[in-house]
Amino acid sequence: MTATLPSDQADDAASETGRIPRPLRPRLARLAVFLVIVVGFIWGVSGLDASFERLRSAPGDAWAILRLMWPPDFATVIERGAIGKVLESVYIAWIGTVIAATLSLPLAFLASNNISPAFIRLPIRQLFNVIRAVPELIVAVVLLGVVPLGAWAGALAIGLHSIGTLGKLSSEEIESAAHGPVEAVEACGGTFISRVRWGVLPQVLPQIASYWLFRFEINVRASAVLGMIGAGGIGSELIAQLRFRNFPEVGAVLIITVAVVVFIDTVSSSVRKRIIAGGSGDPSRMMALIRDLGGSGLARQP
Amino acid sequence: MTEAVAPGTGERPAKPRPKPLTFLVAIALVVWTVFTAREVGFRWSTFVDVWTNPLWEKFWPIPWEWVLDRGNVIDPLIETFQIAIVATVIGCGLALPAAFAMSRLTAPNSPTYWVSRIVMSIVRAVPDLFWAKLLVTAIGIGAFAGAWALSIFSFAVMVKLFSETIDGADPGPLEAARAAGSRHVPAVRTGVLPTVLPSYVAYALYVFELNIRASIVLGLVGAGGIGRIVEAQRTFFNFDRILGILVIVFVVVFVIEQISVALRRRLV
Amino acid sequence: MIELKDVSVTYRGGVKALRNVDLTIDDGEFVVVVGLSGAGKSTLLRVLNGLVPATSGSAKVDGIEVVGASGARLREVRSKIGMIFQTFNLAERTTVLNNVLMGRLSNVPAWRSTLGLWPAADREIALEALERVGIVEKAYVRASNLSGGQQQRVGIARALAQKPTLMLADEPVAALDPVTSRQVMGDLARINTELGITTLINLHYLDLAQEYGQRLIGLRAGELVFDGNIADVDDDTFREIYGRSITTGDILADNDT
Repeated sequence: MTATLPSDQADDAASETGRIPRPLRPRLARLAVFLVIVVGFIWGVSGLDASFERLRSAPGDAWAILRLMWPPDFATVIERGAIGKVLESVYIAWIGTVIAATLSLPLAFLASNNISPAFIRLPIRQLFNVIRAVPELIVAVVLLGVVPLGAWAGALAIGLHSIGTLGKLSSEEIESAAHGPVEAVEACGGTFISRVRWGVLPQVLPQIASYWLFRFEINVRASAVLGMIGAGGIGSELIAQLRFRNFPEVGAVLIITVAVVVFIDTVSSSVRKRIIAGGSGDPSRMMALIRDLGGSGLARQP
Repeated sequence: MTEAVAPGTGERPAKPRPKPLTFLVAIALVVWTVFTAREVGFRWSTFVDVWTNPLWEKFWPIPWEWVLDRGNVIDPLIETFQIAIVATVIGCGLALPAAFAMSRLTAPNSPTYWVSRIVMSIVRAVPDLFWAKLLVTAIGIGAFAGAWALSIFSFAVMVKLFSETIDGADPGPLEAARAAGSRHVPAVRTGVLPTVLPSYVAYALYVFELNIRASIVLGLVGAGGIGRIVEAQRTFFNFDRILGILVIVFVVVFVIEQISVALRRRLV
Repeated sequence: MIELKDVSVTYRGGVKALRNVDLTIDDGEFVVVVGLSGAGKSTLLRVLNGLVPATSGSAKVDGIEVVGASGARLREVRSKIGMIFQTFNLAERTTVLNNVLMGRLSNVPAWRSTLGLWPAADREIALEALERVGIVEKAYVRASNLSGGQQQRVGIARALAQKPTLMLADEPVAALDPVTSRQVMGDLARINTELGITTLINLHYLDLAQEYGQRLIGLRAGELVFDGNIADVDDDTFREIYGRSITTGDILADNDT
């Protein structure tokens, strides 16, 4: 006989008196999950080489470094060309995203169930999954076998990796396009290209373009990271300064990077919003539309 | 609506001139792309060359003996997972209360909300591996630093996702709890938490997946895990070993992802 | 001239949408098709332009066999058949004119249509089509900014731009209010009289059918059960088509709020 928890005993008693019994199984399940997490965590920590000594000193060490970064030393870093490097990171991210967008769009069509037959669609879907799973850094490392180290390798790595995510998102968008307008083009005698160009594309392009821009935002961060292994951009500067423990310079590099990233994020998200909304968004047009719609065009159940 | 007219008669609307803005934007984009391509060193030849480059031979055959030897790949891979687990638990655990502070619906007061939003934006703006490298410098090389770095990363991602979910939650129960005189924290706990908890768990699984992938590369900056091995092999140009590592990693990540997706599906 | 001989359509899953339908329609006729949902009205229309492949039988439009046609031949047939949909099926994010120009797709080289560089002659045809339905002033307006009735008129203009010999309308007014429904039906009737285009319309409301149609075709469970003058429809024929007596749900005027 297994022991019952006091609360469960109370429940059993309650059910006997006719009050609503609390189901046992979900609570056991939750307990089990909790235990799994705790055990997993403990096991995880065991592999981390984390003595109490380290745990105590870690926050202090980290804070010490942060303090050493203030005040940040922009002058040295800028003299060494940090602005150019951070711009290079942006360029790398842009080209990578352009490559990814160009290649992922046709592939996304081939991966959509309303365009492509299964024997083409399934392999391409798997291809996306594989590509997505490989982090940019690893792609870069692999590429370094065949492409010389530098910004171009970084751009390629970012481009290739992004094809995975963009391809998946784009194909999901294409699959969710309404069939009606496509049918209309077909009924006019349109070819496959026309069906895609006039039926599917107008529906999906705004959302897909906003995915491209979002990916660009992420890729700017990725390209900064790639710089750390020498694939161009600001990452190498960070490494250099850290190596010599020039913390004020490190602080400057961080601030410059953050500033650029935040700027791009802000601009990109307002552009994305505009693309999704589409059209002029002219307020007077909206008023005319609302008036026009009053009383007419209401759907009726046949 | 106007009446039909015989074609050719009646007024036609003037064709609107294309807004100069659209034109300028299009041209600007093209110029910008060409410029950046130049700066980056874009070369068409790469797309052709890459297929025929003899260096590909270095990737094959995969030395399975070396790859499957415990010390070389399996142990570091285990370390990678340990980093991912710890980072997920810490990061998501801390993110649970933090997200409530960051959501318009449940933030205790305005300053908390704004300050936390700004701090989070900055944290998210720093590339994840920068954190790793900083921490490695601060507290030493190894998985310990890696776990901290990923915790910060997990925290940032989870807070963003989860606070957006909280934003979209039904304010009704919270209002009711407050109206009944409850203090802020208990009100949130009973009024909002139950509704958003499934999403939290789903996000946690997602963050775990992200961490597995991220922890693979941590080693490239010295923060432990399988990345360390990859970087070491890279410096010796042992691409065949790297490919072997990738195959193993991919298989394991794939399995974990399938489990995670299946679990997530049951939650939603 | 439309000739359907022994046409049957069975969908995957075994649903028999049409059973051995024989039908002949002469040039310039205005025909209304009625029946319950699922009776096969949509299928009947779509067999004619090949959007639904017939399982057996023959369907000839102007002498060209549609059943089994594919590729260029099918596109050629379709270019002569204009279709209007219950949900309008416009490309919402682009202008009205661009939508109507899609009717010219078969006559314009592929590269031109893909890039949106429509020849002047085709633009002219499109604008004329818009004038015919009385909506040319909205030519450069975004399609999604129009009301339902206006969108359907654009749909009609798109079909007109094809310079079709046959017009198929699949429940064109089901999503519109009574006033707009009458306007659209009026447009279709006028086009039929003025331009002599054979017109085939699926409808739900009997009084609308009677107001605008002459020949009535009734489908029931995929079979042709009535083919004659609308004036000849009485309660018996109605019951044959619908399997029940007339109710207020079948009369547009009674649903006019």
